[in-house]
Amino acid sequence: MVCPNCQKNISGNKKSCNHCGQDLTLYKKVLMASNMYYNNGLARAKVRDLSGAITALKKSLELNKANTDARNLLGLIYFEMGETVAALSEWVISKHFKPDDNDAERYINAVQENPTKLDGLNQAIKRYNNALVFAKQGSDDLATIQLKRVISLNPHFLRAYHLLALIYMKNQDKERAKKCLLKAAKIDVSNTTTLKYLRELEAQPSLTRSTETSSNIDNNQPSTIMPISSYREDKPNVMAFVNLVIGVIIGLSVSLFLLIPSIKNNEVSNKNKDVVDYSEKLAALEEKDTAIAKLQDEKAQLQLKLDALQQELDSIEEPNNNPQLYDPLFEASSLYMNELTKRERDRELLGIAEILSTIDTSQFESEESLQLYERLTQEIFPIVSDQLYDEGHDLYSAGKYEEALETLNMSYNYNSDNVDAIYFIARSYHRLEDYENARVYYEIVINDFSDSRRFNDAKQFLNSISED
Amino acid sequence: MINFEEEIEKFQPSPEIEQAEDVIYNNDLMDISDILKELIKEKE
Repeated sequence: MVCPNCQKNISGNKKSCNHCGQDLTLYKKVLMASNMYYNNGLARAKVRDLSGAITALKKSLELNKANTDARNLLGLIYFEMGETVAALSEWVISKHFKPDDNDAERYINAVQENPTKLDGLNQAIKRYNNALVFAKQGSDDLATIQLKRVISLNPHFLRAYHLLALIYMKNQDKERAKKCLLKAAKIDVSNTTTLKYLRELEAQPSLTRSTETSSNIDNNQPSTIMPISSYREDKPNVMAFVNLVIGVIIGLSVSLFLLIPSIKNNEVSNKNKDVVDYSEKLAALEEKDTAIAKLQDEKAQLQLKLDALQQELDSIEEPNNNPQLYDPLFEASSLYMNELTKRERDRELLGIAEILSTIDTSQFESEESLQLYERLTQEIFPIVSDQLYDEGHDLYSAGKYEEALETLNMSYNYNSDNVDAIYFIARSYHRLEDYENARVYYEIVINDFSDSRRFNDAKQFLNSISED
Repeated sequence: MINFEEEIEKFQPSPEIEQAEDVIYNNDLMDISDILKELIKEKE
């Protein structure tokens, strides 16, 4: 206890201060009265008579401003009613009077440790103030919207319920007004404003329906008077447990009955699938092996062909590497061009024909070369054949049959259509009594040149040979 | 019968958190002990 006069601690239960001698009798009575009011306020707060508790606690603090318990409780009640600033004020003052071991510090920390919550509470206050301005200006709709938001931010804001109920009442919305007031009554059961507004609603004769509703609502409220039922001790409900166990067993059985076959089917199908997959893979492998073997055979055959072609290629003399191949043709051409400059009877074509006859045209790759060769032989060979025939005929006429035969054969070689040369070859053999060869050439004349002037003679001589 | 205009005038703005300091400083903390002390001083 602190002496109110000298502010020093007084030990024991003394009636006066040890330091200044101040009589403490009255002071002690004041403190006792403060505590009594505090107890009264606490009792009211416990039954949610917050308004009554506030009155008692304020009395307590009027008697002893340093009654921190009373001040802390007053702060709690303010906080419960949505009066955040008032609550914080009381707790701060309480802490001022008792800095150590004070519940106020815990309350302040609890509020300040959650800035989001604190901001929400402050927003609620600001919106309430805005709503109040709107309501005073007659903007009931805006005020209603703001107040609904206030209540969602701080559902314990008693003033907001009162103002919202008042606005509803003004707009003859009794139902909503009553709901607001009932919510407010849940926070503070003895609030004079709440009770006044509720009475106002009930007193109106036009609210017959609403009163019925309110009575229904009242009936729905938890009543303190409950019917007393006969006492019966709770027994453990065995049947519920048994039913639970049976239900679990049935559930498991059904699950096994339904699931196991499908699981087995899945396993079998998976195995079958594996077998099918394995077979398919095996077949694919065999196909691959077959294809590989086939390709290897083809490769071997192609290799053989390649080797053969390579050998053939190696054996072929490239024309470019054999320039002499075309030399006789060029030589013959050149000579023939020279002979063409001479008179026809002076031309010496036998040498050119001999050159052309030595040419192997099978090695010619150029089409132009072949054409040149063909052209030269067509022009030169018949002329040379005729010239040789004339020479051979002269030798035959001179009785030089063997020499004639040699020249006539050359004539025949240069022109196989020279029927005169063939006829005198036969005649030469005939003169030489080589009847076999004579017969051959007579038959050529008879068979191949039946329309020639030598036909009849050849036939007669052939017959003469046959008769001999 | 409640008069809305009269009733609404009874509603006062709620102090905001930023005003808490003012509320605390303006709080009347005089109790009966302070009054008695003043009375004793006046008597002396």
